[in-house]
Amino acid sequence: MHRVHAGYTVLLPVAAERAAAASELLAELAAQPERLRFAQSTTTHFATITILPAQTYRGEPLPATLLFATSFCGPARVHVRELVALMAEPLRAVFGCCEGFPERCSNDELEAFLVARRSGDAFYSGMQNLSPLDVERHHELREAIEGFLDERQAEGSLPETASGVRRAIQSFVRSRPELAWVQESFAPPAGTWLALHWRTLIAGAIAVPVLAALVACSVARIFVHDAMLGDVVEGGWIAVGLLVAFGLGLVLAIRDAERDQTYVAERQPDALVRELAATQNRPVVNEFTIVGPIKEEGTLRPLGLRMLLWLVARLAEGIPGLRAPIEIPTVATARWIAADRGRRLVFISNYTNSAEGYVRDFIDVTAGAKNINLSFGFGRGYPKTRWIVDAGAITDPNAFSYVVAANQRPTAFWYGPYRNLSIDNIRVNRQIREGVLAKLDDDDARKWLLLL
Amino acid sequence: MTAELLETDDIQGLIVRGYGSLHAAAFLLVEVIDPELARRYLQAACARVNTARVSPDGFALQLAFTAPGLERLGVPADARVTFSREFLEGMDDDVRAEALGDRGDNDPTTWQWGRSSASDIHAMVMVYAANQDKLTTHLDTELKALAGAFRVVRQQDTTTLDDHKEHFGWRDGLSMPNIEGVPADHERKKQQQSWTTPLRAGEFVLGYPNEYASYSECPTAAAADDPAGHLPLAAGGVRKDLGRNGTYLVYRQLTQDVLKLWSYLADHSREPGADPAAKAIALGAKMVGRWPNGAPLVTSPDADDRAQATENRFLYDAADGDGLRCPLGAHVRRANPRDVLALDREPADSIVMVRKHQMIRRGRPFGRPVSARMDPREILAARGQPDPEIRGLHFICLVGHINRQFEFVQRAWMQSANFAALFKDADPISAARRAAGDKNANDEFTCQAEPVRRKYKQLPQFTRLVGGAYFFLPGLAALRFIARAPASRSSAPGS
Repeated sequence: MHRVHAGYTVLLPVAAERAAAASELLAELAAQPERLRFAQSTTTHFATITILPAQTYRGEPLPATLLFATSFCGPARVHVRELVALMAEPLRAVFGCCEGFPERCSNDELEAFLVARRSGDAFYSGMQNLSPLDVERHHELREAIEGFLDERQAEGSLPETASGVRRAIQSFVRSRPELAWVQESFAPPAGTWLALHWRTLIAGAIAVPVLAALVACSVARIFVHDAMLGDVVEGGWIAVGLLVAFGLGLVLAIRDAERDQTYVAERQPDALVRELAATQNRPVVNEFTIVGPIKEEGTLRPLGLRMLLWLVARLAEGIPGLRAPIEIPTVATARWIAADRGRRLVFISNYTNSAEGYVRDFIDVTAGAKNINLSFGFGRGYPKTRWIVDAGAITDPNAFSYVVAANQRPTAFWYGPYRNLSIDNIRVNRQIREGVLAKLDDDDARKWLLLL
Repeated sequence: MTAELLETDDIQGLIVRGYGSLHAAAFLLVEVIDPELARRYLQAACARVNTARVSPDGFALQLAFTAPGLERLGVPADARVTFSREFLEGMDDDVRAEALGDRGDNDPTTWQWGRSSASDIHAMVMVYAANQDKLTTHLDTELKALAGAFRVVRQQDTTTLDDHKEHFGWRDGLSMPNIEGVPADHERKKQQQSWTTPLRAGEFVLGYPNEYASYSECPTAAAADDPAGHLPLAAGGVRKDLGRNGTYLVYRQLTQDVLKLWSYLADHSREPGADPAAKAIALGAKMVGRWPNGAPLVTSPDADDRAQATENRFLYDAADGDGLRCPLGAHVRRANPRDVLALDREPADSIVMVRKHQMIRRGRPFGRPVSARMDPREILAARGQPDPEIRGLHFICLVGHINRQFEFVQRAWMQSANFAALFKDADPISAARRAAGDKNANDEFTCQAEPVRRKYKQLPQFTRLVGGAYFFLPGLAALRFIARAPASRSSAPGS
């Protein structure tokens, strides 16, 4: 079974008469997190459960909505089945606050409901192809090796060459029954590549053959004077032209809307910012939820947001043969959601650092700030962008901080098991595991030892 | 693009010079007891405050204010709320203390001064003089002028140690950012050697473009509250610019347990070498990232080369990306990571980011040194002898954005156990310790080496925070505004 990471997201309107009960329930679960048995899940890295507030977009109400979002690995159906097996009762209680939830449903019905109600998201993982067990084991492996080295150094019995030290470590690891798993293969299982890139492949499988056929037909038409072929070629290029025109028109419409923008977020009350900071004050890993309606200028923005997030998702995964996945140094997992048919932007991140430092970290470099403009620039109050990626947070970093504070929401329930491991720690542990028993040349052996 | 010239005759001199030629200094932490008399003192003091325009002639006076101090002096609430949140909430705010790692021995509840609940530190009067005798004279004059208007809560004496050193025995103040926009005819020492080009002035002086080509939040006042027209117009043309040419001053008083540090170094060093003292010094150098006389390990890995004592042009990535010379968690590498900020950052990106987290440091030591000659071997020899002296550092830095500069560096670089992908290492010299057993323990120091690292464990805490506060160091025009209480402020507290 593959270990590809994805976001499992459910957004369901909260029934008005159960809104207060829903908040109380989430507060209870936060106080007694063991009731949601995520800690026993083999597929869950992080989980966020909270209620998005009722808001409006151009006078249209956006309802109070339950957000249930996990960062998981493996096939989605396996993940959902596991969640139901582990915590069916509290899940019924949580989703029972929502409209359209089938009361007294069986576990099978609950699973079917959760699978059917999954929302799309643009998901990023900085720790792809790791299961929770991998993260835990890799940490144990590193700790065991460090302990071994400390002991041997204290005795003065450690070899003096890199290859000698490597051999001693390998012997130690092979001798420990609790580390027997290290001798198993750690190569990504079959299906990993497909599980990560299937969306890009489908898009490519449609676009590339159609374009290739169109080009071939256009060339053929030079030599073959056939009326039907001519119609096909003309129709094809007209369709391509219309698509390009639509794309350009969308960008121009958004550019027009950018010029019309009137509201930019201002400094938020200090007490509010302090309250938010208090929720992001864990020493290593924190969680961050942003939710807000999009800018009201420009009727095509909801459509534009959904298209942009599709693009962000592909960039985050990487495009085979064309572009490596995005790497965000401080982020374990993140997702963007175009909620309410693109009228509301939701962002969730599990990251290293505190919120204020983390937010600034994104925009310290212009290229990073352009990515932030691309993925957040549609949010209401975001500083004015130019051609979607320019200006915005680049030219007005203060307003960027303000809009983040204005839209950040304290998360009702958060599950994050790796609270003392930064994303860099997880990556280093993985490199240690990958290299510990591998055959390495002298230079790679030297570099591997420097991971310790 | 030509940098905007600094208005040096409106900027307090501390921003552009550390008053190194004025060997004696004292900082008076004062409480306003009579706001009207206090404002009169400030009006008179305006003429004596040393500006950035000219070098001091044997004496310098600088003035800074806390948020409660501005309130007590009658600065309208409408203006006070425009100061930064960090300044208004104070350094000892519970959420902030947690973020800064001010827990355990550094917890604000243990501080000797600076608790917001006491609300007694309203301003700081910084007096610098050429020598101790002249300082005594100037202090007498200043104390007489303050009498009746202010109560001196604490007089923070300072000392100057040989070779520009701090008490642990290392040369200090070697990596200071240069600032754009200082006029060419400006009387000051030549610019320091630097690892990077001069930083935009807005990083350190409010009212000027910063490294984002933007402006840090700048406090403003209602035009009606400035009938005398002391302040320039703020951006937007409606309010008055109260922050221009001012800056935020972060003050943390740290005691240093010099003998505890050197005892640890002597008892635990496994660095190469036969001479125990040399081994202790070598471990200390690894922890600091420089040798005691200042030579950086990156350019002088094997010996304390005095010829490189002030060398500051080095970068880490190409010369020492693995930390084999200067360990990844060494004090100077954390305080200023230059071009190696994170595992997968390009060096050029790291430089761009690190430039946005710089500080101008203006600290001074206090207390008598263990060794007058600041010789590590003499300090080592003093181990085991009774040592009742309290000594340490008045850490003072100037920043345009407290959170982005000082607080970020303190939290994410100095105090973090996970900086540079390390696991249990915080700054070996200055961090508050969380011992083994704590889920986020930070009492180790990893010394990268070949074939494999050396780990030092159970590091004690060598410094202790005994007080601290955030101040606003105003420009001269803002100082005149603060000193002149218009009638419209009659309803303000403290008037």
